[in-house]
Amino acid sequence: MAEFLFELGVEEVPVSYVKDIMDQLIKGFTNSLIQKRIEIGAIETAMTNRRFLLFFNNISSVSGAKSEQVKGPSREIAFDEDQNPTKALEKFLETNGIKESDLEEIETKKGIYLGFTREDKGDDTKALLSKLIPEILDKMFFNKTMTWNSSGKSFVRPIRNLLAIFNGKTIDFQFAGITSSNITNGHRLLSEEKIRISSFQEYCEQMSQNFVIFSEEERKDKILTEIKDLEKDLGLKVQMTDKMLEYYVFNNEYPVVFAGKFDEQYLDLPSEIISTFMINEKKLVPVYDKSEKLTNIFAGVSNVPDESESVSKGNEKVIRATFEDAKFFWDNDRNDDFEALREGLKNVMFQKDLGTFHEKSIRIKEISELLSELSGNTEQTKNIGAAAELCKNDLLTRMVGEFPSLQGIMGGLYLKEKGIERDIWETVYYHYEPKGFVEDELESLNAGILSIGDKIDNIVGLISKGIKVSSSKDPYGIRRDTSAIIKIIVDFKLNFDLKPVIEFTINKFGIAVEDRGKILKVITSLFSARMEHFLKDLLFIDNDVVNSVIKSNTLFIYKIYLRTKAVSEVSKSSSIHHLIEVHKRVRNIIKDSEILAVSDTFLVEPEEKVLFEIINETRSGTEKLLRDNDYIEACSNFIDMKPVVDNFFEKVLVMDKNENIRKNRIGLLQKINELFLQIADFSILTEKD
Amino acid sequence: MTPDTFFKVLGKKPWRTAYWQPSRRPDDGRYAENPNRVQKHNQFQVILKPVPENGQELYLNSLQFLGVEIRNHDIKFDEDNWASPSLGAWGVGWQVMCDGLEITQFTYFQQAGGIELNPKSLEITYGIERLASFLEQKSNIYDLSWSNNVSYGELRTEEEKQFSVYNFETADIEMLRELYMLYNKEAIRLLELELYLPAFDYVLKCSHAFNILDARKAVSVAERTSFLASMRDLASQTAKLYILKTEGKNG
Repeated sequence: MAEFLFELGVEEVPVSYVKDIMDQLIKGFTNSLIQKRIEIGAIETAMTNRRFLLFFNNISSVSGAKSEQVKGPSREIAFDEDQNPTKALEKFLETNGIKESDLEEIETKKGIYLGFTREDKGDDTKALLSKLIPEILDKMFFNKTMTWNSSGKSFVRPIRNLLAIFNGKTIDFQFAGITSSNITNGHRLLSEEKIRISSFQEYCEQMSQNFVIFSEEERKDKILTEIKDLEKDLGLKVQMTDKMLEYYVFNNEYPVVFAGKFDEQYLDLPSEIISTFMINEKKLVPVYDKSEKLTNIFAGVSNVPDESESVSKGNEKVIRATFEDAKFFWDNDRNDDFEALREGLKNVMFQKDLGTFHEKSIRIKEISELLSELSGNTEQTKNIGAAAELCKNDLLTRMVGEFPSLQGIMGGLYLKEKGIERDIWETVYYHYEPKGFVEDELESLNAGILSIGDKIDNIVGLISKGIKVSSSKDPYGIRRDTSAIIKIIVDFKLNFDLKPVIEFTINKFGIAVEDRGKILKVITSLFSARMEHFLKDLLFIDNDVVNSVIKSNTLFIYKIYLRTKAVSEVSKSSSIHHLIEVHKRVRNIIKDSEILAVSDTFLVEPEEKVLFEIINETRSGTEKLLRDNDYIEACSNFIDMKPVVDNFFEKVLVMDKNENIRKNRIGLLQKINELFLQIADFSILTEKD
Repeated sequence: MTPDTFFKVLGKKPWRTAYWQPSRRPDDGRYAENPNRVQKHNQFQVILKPVPENGQELYLNSLQFLGVEIRNHDIKFDEDNWASPSLGAWGVGWQVMCDGLEITQFTYFQQAGGIELNPKSLEITYGIERLASFLEQKSNIYDLSWSNNVSYGELRTEEEKQFSVYNFETADIEMLRELYMLYNKEAIRLLELELYLPAFDYVLKCSHAFNILDARKAVSVAERTSFLASMRDLASQTAKLYILKTEGKNG
């Protein structure tokens, strides 16, 4: 067994690429080594924006031996009539470098073939690696790449160093004009030397002496500890988001937390603007006091120790210019008549072939008003309509031009400044929220409704344009929009069917009549797929429970949610096996037969007469329960039918010789199936212990 | 972008150049009220073609030469890809931050005039005002000393104020549109005469007229696309003509 250390040295790659690069390296090495039958043991990895380290501390020094039968042409094809080798056989011998005497016969189902046994004794791992590493690097793939030298190799940023050591010795290879070596470098600013490495042990020592904390976990701990200390010192709270923390962890090889102050006059700016400028422009994080109020303190992470305070003082100077800029945009935008900007939306395209944002604002007004009525939020319909008309105006403000992430928020703030009522400005402010399932709940129902309206408009428009959605490709965020709609419906318990809303929107886009059905179908399955993901992966409801409900393919999202919750509940009770059993028995008999009518005249036996009665009774009782979303009670009514159904199966033979009677009985069972399916397909549930 | 950059990064011939140039961005005017944002600033432009292996080290050495103690400052290469849609030029690289102040744009040029560059060039653009304010420890560039007895503010405040008023408030929109059309026409005429240097001059004039119109908020989103496309087209023709003239083949 041996030790293998590999470090890819690059010029600073953007933080968003760091994990992807490491994933591809791990996959590349693992696949190639396993393919060569090399035992790799555990891999340790570490990454910064300048280096990607893979360490195999227990890799086998030789690849495994293997004997493999290689099949060639069939015997018939291999020889001609005179039993001389044909072209096909000669070619086979030549490509594999074997002689005719090496051939053996291989029996297959298709007859006898010729072939030979290839014995692979195994190779020296180090020698193999010098061939494999360039191949692995060459296969890496990224969306945005560059080239920098005559090798023509492309990567995210230039590759500058390749450290590859196998049991103390350099693995020799070349890639992208660089020759591999046993040399690496330390911190960009704090270490000047080239560092010679012979083992992982030495690598660790040298890195720590040269100001590189190569483990991302260690860097994260250091940052979080220093942030905690800072919070304790100041008695304040640093608002560190996961995204900023990741940025700091990967963008610094020797992270040091620092803090600074800015002039209190800038606190007059809306806090959303202050924190957006701080985070996006300056990569600094805001600090709040105990009552959640923004303070004039900021925190950041430097790549060098700030003993002389030059980093914090420098940032203090710079942040002033940034806030001056924010103030410039804020003041300038407020000089414009915000409501009048709507006219300008006539010049802003929403999407190619889907008209302007002005047209969009007209559509989402109508869609949102319909949604408002359906959700029983009638007294707010007027406000939601007003908000819908104004909600895209901020696309024409300087602030949103500079920071698209402030869209919605700025519209809300500018309306608030103009003294527009809260029910309207708040609706605009939050109408891009939520961004997906795992986000905070919206507080404003108005905003929730406008958000659904805007997103339905996006979804219908884009789908009608033929935009396809898949798990790996969703450039327009259709899946995210769908998830957000589901979340709003569930959070606000919005008890209405989306189908008429989608149809209304399809009409608004003026889609050809013959295409409408297809688009509705695509959208329905889109919602079903997101709903399935939501129920299974985020609410952790059992797969069979979700499957039993989701297949009904409706756009009545809230009912699907409640039905699934109810079935999940019932499936945990002991009586569930009655339902499963009944439904299974019923389905076994009806199979896929066409829908048959039930008529009194053909009911012969008392047991089937009673069954007919109880079906009708249960159906009318269930109707109201389903309307009231009381699915648990409805299930218990289904369970109550069990003795009658059992009795029927025991005493009555469904497959009667008389066709009318037989069909009537199958029709009866279909009615039970139909009734059950209004909640779930219980026949596919599995019993829990 | 001056011809010394635009043309020299095209073609095969190795080239190294460094020069001072003023840069105008009408939209960045702040009426002399922002401590480090102005509608006209100075930059020191370096082109290294082909890309050296140690460009970042060379750059850091240049900062040390200027007096920046790099061990005491948080110097970061922060993702920032440069692009000039009007000139069909783009590159990949960073803004170099020094204690949070952007002092340099560091770009591996990939395309110019819509032509894939081969070999690639490294472009380093030092922001002179920013660097000077760092070196002089001034938080406001107007407090910089231009010479021993003249401050930057004395020299530039009035200019920034007046041009901010001009760019944002009073520039004559109709006239600028006409000028744009005239410049555009002249560039086309010069291209026909195979005079790529003056032609490029007029492409730059188009670009500046467009930038003022944009600062005046006189360009709708749809119009922007067609403005940019027409300039990009001219830039691309200019670049092709240059390659044809200097290397005798159609790029």
